Amino acid sequence: SVLDKLTESELFTVAVEGAIGGNAYQHSRVNQWTNNVVEQCLSQLSKLGKPFKYIVTCIIMQKNGAGLQTACSCFWDNTTDGSCTVRWENKSMYCIVSVFGLAI
Amino acid sequence: MEIVYVYTKKRSEFGRQCNFSDRPAELHVDILPDPSLAANFIDRDPCDVPIQCTQEMSEHEVNTERIEYETCGINHVEGGWPKDINPQEMEQTIRFRKKVEKDENYVNTIMQLGSHMEHCIRQNNAIDIYQEYFEEEEVVEETEEQPSAKTINVFRDPNEVKRTATSLSWHPDGSRKLAVAYSSLEFQKVTKDMSYDSYIWDIENPNKPEMTLKPVSPLVCLEYNSKDSHILVGGSYNGQIAYWDTRKGSQPVEMSTIEHSHRDPVYKVIWLQSKTGTDFFSASTDGQVLWWDIRKMSEPTERLVLDPTKEGKLENALGAISLEFETTMPTKFMVGTEQGLVVSCNRKAKTPAEKIVCTYSGHHGPIYALQRNPFFPKNFLTVADWTARIWSEDIRESSIMWTKYHTASLSDGCWSPVRPSVFFTVKMDGTLDVWDFLFKQNDPTLSLKVCDEALYSIRVQDNGRFLACGSQLGTTTLLEISSGLCTLQKNEKALAAMMFERETKREKILEARHREMRLKERSRSEQSKEDEAKEGEGEESSEELVARIEKEFYEMIETEMKNRGKDEKKEKELDKVRNGDG
Repeated sequence: SVLDKLTESELFTVAVEGAIGGNAYQHSRVNQWTNNVVEQCLSQLSKLGKPFKYIVTCIIMQKNGAGLQTACSCFWDNTTDGSCTVRWENKSMYCIVSVFGLAI
Repeated sequence: MEIVYVYTKKRSEFGRQCNFSDRPAELHVDILPDPSLAANFIDRDPCDVPIQCTQEMSEHEVNTERIEYETCGINHVEGGWPKDINPQEMEQTIRFRKKVEKDENYVNTIMQLGSHMEHCIRQNNAIDIYQEYFEEEEVVEETEEQPSAKTINVFRDPNEVKRTATSLSWHPDGSRKLAVAYSSLEFQKVTKDMSYDSYIWDIENPNKPEMTLKPVSPLVCLEYNSKDSHILVGGSYNGQIAYWDTRKGSQPVEMSTIEHSHRDPVYKVIWLQSKTGTDFFSASTDGQVLWWDIRKMSEPTERLVLDPTKEGKLENALGAISLEFETTMPTKFMVGTEQGLVVSCNRKAKTPAEKIVCTYSGHHGPIYALQRNPFFPKNFLTVADWTARIWSEDIRESSIMWTKYHTASLSDGCWSPVRPSVFFTVKMDGTLDVWDFLFKQNDPTLSLKVCDEALYSIRVQDNGRFLACGSQLGTTTLLEISSGLCTLQKNEKALAAMMFERETKREKILEARHREMRLKERSRSEQSKEDEAKEGEGEESSEELVARIEKEFYEMIETEMKNRGKDEKKEKELDKVRNGDG
């Protein structure tokens, strides 16, 4: 299952590209964008049809010289659960999507 | 977002133990700060941020319905006391009251009356029976009153030797003054001591004229300038034209030179509509129509000879006796001639031949009055010989409407400026006729004998209510006509328009038929001439024809006289009966 996650990073990049690709950062639309990204990813995941609980988070940050560090730590069953983080950027913003999958 | 996932799980796997293990923190994203990117952005300085910390409130306006208060009183008059009681005397009234109160029926009647009275009072307070309903609709009541006219004032010629009042002109602003031209039109009746003066009367003061105008020769016609009410122009008996300024006195300001004026009395002058307001034109029986400008009276600006053969020869010219000009149609004008023809002319034509457009024939004598209907300018009124006729511009052969032949000849007439179907005529026997052809067509609506001598001129004021007529002995009478004759009735314009159209159509059809018949006659007569020559049987010769016509004419006159004799006898008998009774 962890292997599956890694391969699915492609899926997420496509989803993000579809949601916000080609746009410049606009504060008024960021809310809408994060919602779209998360929804797209989640719908793609549920299409896989695996018995997993999913958690998807999305961060969109404007490229204006600031730095960003995120980390996470988990207490789970390593054999059955896993996570994946995808980083996407264009000229004006960064988009970081993290997906956690927990076996039922 | 609706995502549904259905999964299956083996029963044996329920409640499976979870093997927890701790995964240490993992750095997911590490983006280093890059100040160069900040160069893409500009600081916004200053930032306007409106902040308000108040309670949200709403605003409403309410206004109650207005109640109007009115105080009313009741007028209570004391009365009803019997004859022997004096209401002023306290004792008597008290005694009477006590007596009545002791009466058996007193209480019952009071009770009954009380309830009635209460009802009436309540009604009175509830409904105002004098309230005007339908106030907005101004219903013009059709007056059933008889048309009538009454004399307001009479202005007599102050001179010993009386002259005829040949022309009248109302003052243009408010019509408070009337200018009257006096002259004697009878051939060789002018005596040495006859004065040449004409007068301007103030209608309030019939005793003395307000101003005298002293021309060189008596004035036959006189007109106020509608643009400048101080200027009057007059045409005189010797053919000259003069103009006056009332501010400058009784002498004319300037006169036209004798060489360039008319050769006969100037019968009509009309002011033209121009930017300067100083142009007018005049007509005279010498056959010319001349245009003048006040500023240069030495010579006319234009000349037209009324030659129906269109050659401009004075010998053939028709004498002009009246003019017509309507300011709404400034290029056209009409001239009424002594010979009974109305000539319609175009002012803007290049050659004199083209100036005369057409003629209308039908009258037997000089056309004394000529006027277009102020509401329907295509139709005009002519007054001549013993009839008044209404014409349509399109029909040249005959008039579309005409009055019967009167016993006295008509001398002047005009349309009412407020009602399209009303016009006035005056006759040589001193009567004024008011015609309303929507009401009655055979007879005048109102016929009034103004004076014993002949009436020569009539003019209506612009409000249509007052009119002045001038007589042979110089007496000008100012009359007021009843309101029914000078208020526009409902639909009158439409009805008059329909009537004119109908009559015009009728005349057109008749004209067409006549033409057809004439053509037939001509072809037939050509044939019959050949037959006659062969047979030699002639119809009545011309002398026999004349004798027959004479006999018929005399017979007609005799029957007319007999009828009149019968009428007079009847009148006498009626008078006897009346006197016998009284």
